[in-house]
Amino acid sequence: MTALVEEEKTVNKKGDIMSGRVIVITSGKGGVGKTTTNANIGTALARAGKKVVMIDTDLGLRNLDLLLGLENRIVYTIVDVVEERCKLKQALVKDKKNPNLCLLAAAQTRDKTAVTEEQLKDICEELKKDFDFILVDCPAGIEQGFQNAVAGASEAIVVTTPEMSAVRDADRIIGLLEAKEEIKSYKLLINRVRPSMIKSNDMMSVEDVVEILSAPLVGIIPEDTGIITSTNKGEPIVNDEKSLAGQAYRNVARRIIGEDVPFLNLEEDTSIMSKVKKFFTGLMGKEK
Amino acid sequence: MKDIFTDLYNKVLGFFRQTEKKEEESAKAVACNRLKFVLMQDRTNLTPELMDRMRKELIELLSKYVEMDKEALELGFEQEGNQMALMLSIPVLRAKDEAEIEAILEKEDEEKAKKEEENTTEPKDDTDENNVDDSDADETSDSDENPETISDDIIVEEVEIEIIPEEEESAEPKEKKKNKASKTSK
Repeated sequence: MTALVEEEKTVNKKGDIMSGRVIVITSGKGGVGKTTTNANIGTALARAGKKVVMIDTDLGLRNLDLLLGLENRIVYTIVDVVEERCKLKQALVKDKKNPNLCLLAAAQTRDKTAVTEEQLKDICEELKKDFDFILVDCPAGIEQGFQNAVAGASEAIVVTTPEMSAVRDADRIIGLLEAKEEIKSYKLLINRVRPSMIKSNDMMSVEDVVEILSAPLVGIIPEDTGIITSTNKGEPIVNDEKSLAGQAYRNVARRIIGEDVPFLNLEEDTSIMSKVKKFFTGLMGKEK
Repeated sequence: MKDIFTDLYNKVLGFFRQTEKKEEESAKAVACNRLKFVLMQDRTNLTPELMDRMRKELIELLSKYVEMDKEALELGFEQEGNQMALMLSIPVLRAKDEAEIEAILEKEDEEKAKKEEENTTEPKDDTDENNVDDSDADETSDSDENPETISDDIIVEEVEIEIIPEEEESAEPKEKKKNKASKTSK
């Protein structure tokens, strides 16, 4: 694993004209897991040896720092950069574990008007030179905050859950993204999938959502209580090798890089055998 | 002993039958249908009222040419890849005679001509966004006075609009059943 990281790094250093991909992570509806997705995909990409910067554009309601456990390290925010109180590089907070990962935090004391679309575009352009991936965490809603976040991006990941309201809002977001010339492609990430509820026909399936939204899929993330504990610890779940959701997010990152990774078979997880297996692996884990 | 087994067999079978039945009106199916309906509105800016009006107008228009089962007429949007299609399914009861059609059309033309003569063009406010709909509505409201073509009471009752799944166009009886099911579930 470390060898692979080294290799990637040198490649990056060689290719001087680095032009990173700017991906906005959006959803329309709040609470579907945009920020969690951002933190996990970012961490997973960094683990795969990519240089990643995450921009939190949710001014006034920042949370990405919490999910990454970086809340105590923030000195400057994106507003400080825009208002020229510091240089862009000074405002980038390095991750605790992974030197490939940086965060440009949102200001907590200001509102969405503190940064303009143009300014965000400029910041993205600047960061493209030094990073492989720029992940923009978009605030909920379709107002100015959304417009700002999308401004500098050329790709989008639309996060939704198999719930009606989330799918409806995702449809609205897709409509808006399609109208944006700068957005070259968008993909769907379906979060909080509950295989057992889908099996009993109590919940829309991944196929249903994909059919209704007719958008290409980049990831299916199972509902996982581990997400809550990982948030509490400020440690993205992709760092947990045992977690299924973590595995799913790692797969998303690989798909973003361009690998062809099959989607996880979530139904397996509900079978008795895997439950037994889980039970035993749980026991083993405790013994350690 | 035999009885116990047959009983058990029936119970097991009954259980599966129940779950099968459940599929039709499951939370998932309800969610899908509601969502499809609401997205159709979101995407097209067509409210249920407008859809109903479109339906009415289509019935008016089409019943000039064919005799159809007005209650079974289905109108809805369907997604085909990235494109939306307006699907209209009409069970035709009987083809009309040429003479019959011509008589209706003539009558309509006459009435139109009469109206034009009267020419009471009142200034209308164009507050409605759907201009196309508006102009259509004007034409059909003329033919509203034609007693042969339309009977309003049937249509007003029918508000339910189903999105018609692809394969089911040929299988009409099934469709009707489904219709009823979704109505009662509402």
